Amino acid sequence: MALKDYARKQAQEKEPITVGIPRAFLYYRNGTLWREYFRTLGVHLVISQPTNRKIEEDGMKAAIDEMCLAMKIYLGHVKSLIGKCDYILIPRVVDFGIRRVYCTSFEGLPDIARNVFRNENIQILSYNVNVQGKKDEESAMILMARELGFSAREGKNAYRAGRKAADREFASKVKAAEALYRRNGLRVAVGAHSYIAEDDYIGKPVIDMLKKMNVIPIRADFVDRKKARERANEISPTLKWDFSREIAGGIAMHMKQIDGIILLSAYPCALDSMVDDMIVRKAEGTRIPILQLTLDAQTGTAGVETRLESFIDILRMNRGASGQELSREKEEELIEAMDAGKTQGEGAEA
Amino acid sequence: MAKESKAKKKISFPMIARYNYVIQYFVEVGLEQEYVMQPRLTRRTMELGAKYAPDMVCTPFKTILGSMIESLEAGADTLMMSMGYCRLGYYGELAQQILKDLGYEFDYVNFAEYTTGKNKDYLKALKRLCPDIRPVRAGKAGMNALKMVEYIDEIEDLYYQNCGFETEKGAYKKALNRFYSDMSHARSMRAIQEGYRRCLNAFRNIPVDKGISPLRVGLVGEYFTIMDDFSNLDLEQTLADMGVEVHRWMNLSHRNLHYPGEKNLNVRIRDLCRYEMGPTSTANIWQAREYARKGFDGIIHLKSAGCTPEIDVMPVLQRIGEEEKIPILYLTYDAQTANAGLLTRIEAFYDMIEMRKQMK
Repeated sequence: MALKDYARKQAQEKEPITVGIPRAFLYYRNGTLWREYFRTLGVHLVISQPTNRKIEEDGMKAAIDEMCLAMKIYLGHVKSLIGKCDYILIPRVVDFGIRRVYCTSFEGLPDIARNVFRNENIQILSYNVNVQGKKDEESAMILMARELGFSAREGKNAYRAGRKAADREFASKVKAAEALYRRNGLRVAVGAHSYIAEDDYIGKPVIDMLKKMNVIPIRADFVDRKKARERANEISPTLKWDFSREIAGGIAMHMKQIDGIILLSAYPCALDSMVDDMIVRKAEGTRIPILQLTLDAQTGTAGVETRLESFIDILRMNRGASGQELSREKEEELIEAMDAGKTQGEGAEA
Repeated sequence: MAKESKAKKKISFPMIARYNYVIQYFVEVGLEQEYVMQPRLTRRTMELGAKYAPDMVCTPFKTILGSMIESLEAGADTLMMSMGYCRLGYYGELAQQILKDLGYEFDYVNFAEYTTGKNKDYLKALKRLCPDIRPVRAGKAGMNALKMVEYIDEIEDLYYQNCGFETEKGAYKKALNRFYSDMSHARSMRAIQEGYRRCLNAFRNIPVDKGISPLRVGLVGEYFTIMDDFSNLDLEQTLADMGVEVHRWMNLSHRNLHYPGEKNLNVRIRDLCRYEMGPTSTANIWQAREYARKGFDGIIHLKSAGCTPEIDVMPVLQRIGEEEKIPILYLTYDAQTANAGLLTRIEAFYDMIEMRKQMK
């Protein structure tokens, strides 16, 4: 071990570094990777609390009004970590290759946080993934380890350990999801970004409602990602966003095994604003009903619940009547109920 | 003879600012096809687009979709659409799907389909527009077309920096309109240059009274909305008419033809921003601070509703406003933005920067 490295090690042993991770955005995708990576390096971690009202409100105060709900929540989490750690982990991800692009907000994330919290003492730890710019995830995370005073070898080991754990975990999620597609019951594919669907404050309650209604919600993006991207490519050749391709491809791969689709998104999501419309257009003629549900900070759960119930009723009728069509009047009645629920939800927004 | 009898494609590209003259020139001279010039953007264009586009999409998509419909109505049989860094890169395919679902029949060349990592592959798109393309001719026309872009940008810069101070009302506008008409008819480099020189001479001969130090406002913002006068409800003219020198760095010449490159530009704002935040973010942040440091009286940041990269830049601009002590007005344009409400905000901003100037 070089003397320099030895000195670094010494310093770390005296004062272990604490890194804070906001429980939002990419945490839901990369949480295991990050936890295992930092654990291997011997870095202490603080992970922010699950989203709650205070976090959301703090985020809304800090954010620009027009930012999406997920960004507001993210900034709330960042704020909750200020002063509780040495560094806050805020990665920058541009892309994982051609047509594997992330939303531009992930490109600006570290600088958004740096400038939003410019008057507070915020130390940001970041790594930069931009595969089209020749910066892959592994080398980016090795570089980050070196910035923290570890050797490149240590960084590489930590990354590999993290990647392995994350891949293993995801594979088991995919396996579980595939089993759900074979389960008896009303199966609904949920197309949502992980940071919406898994957030305790916004998306998870919706999934829980579905479960309570005896529905089997299945995350469309819990799917063999490579296959899903290829499938998405067949449907929409210029679809450029990684997340959207996983969702669209995942839905397309399971069209025969589902009774309905719920597209769950945060207001206002740049990607979903276009991709959801495309999914609806492409699904036309398949007779699989689609519900587009947009969550914003003011959405009352009552409005959401009404809309979900009407939607599930339609799915049940569709299925129960297999052979005998849903009567025209009944269908109209249900659509009316859905619209009423929608207006109710919108009324709450105003 | 055989060649002439072959039917030409009727090509069109969505309306953006005055650049359609350039595309028209390239299509007709370089590709030897017909260009269909659709009407300029109007409320009708916007309403058409808003009717068929998804609700939450950024506003330029609606305008572009509306303009594509107007191109088809005007007789185009082939539509072109560009690639892009943000949502713009998906505009092409979704617009095509919507138009198809509406029942339109047309040929479609979407440059986003040719994004492979190699710029050379975009030439394949040109090949589709014109199978028997003559590369030398097309190349030369391409170079001339780029020259036309530079001329348009230079003339518009001069126009908005000076037209508010003419002593003879309407003289600048007259010269500019002549220039636009010259560009729309130009089919040779000579005609392009003649039109450009004529306008430049005309501008030089118009008497201008700027006083000792006129109010100067710099514009930054989202690519489409900042360049397209319909989309920003003629913001530059409105300001100029109040007697303001209007500066706008963002145009095709600066951002696309002579862009210094992200890395070299980012160096200048490294203290504010470590990375590029979006397609035009670095340039906008850099320019905003340049305007401030050059002693401008105010900055206006404009964007279409829902433009994520420009929303993300706002915290940085707010910081520039604080650190450099310069007022910044933030404008968002959606399909419903009306002139009256906007004018009130611009007037209030004008009054504020004018008062600030007097107190100095």
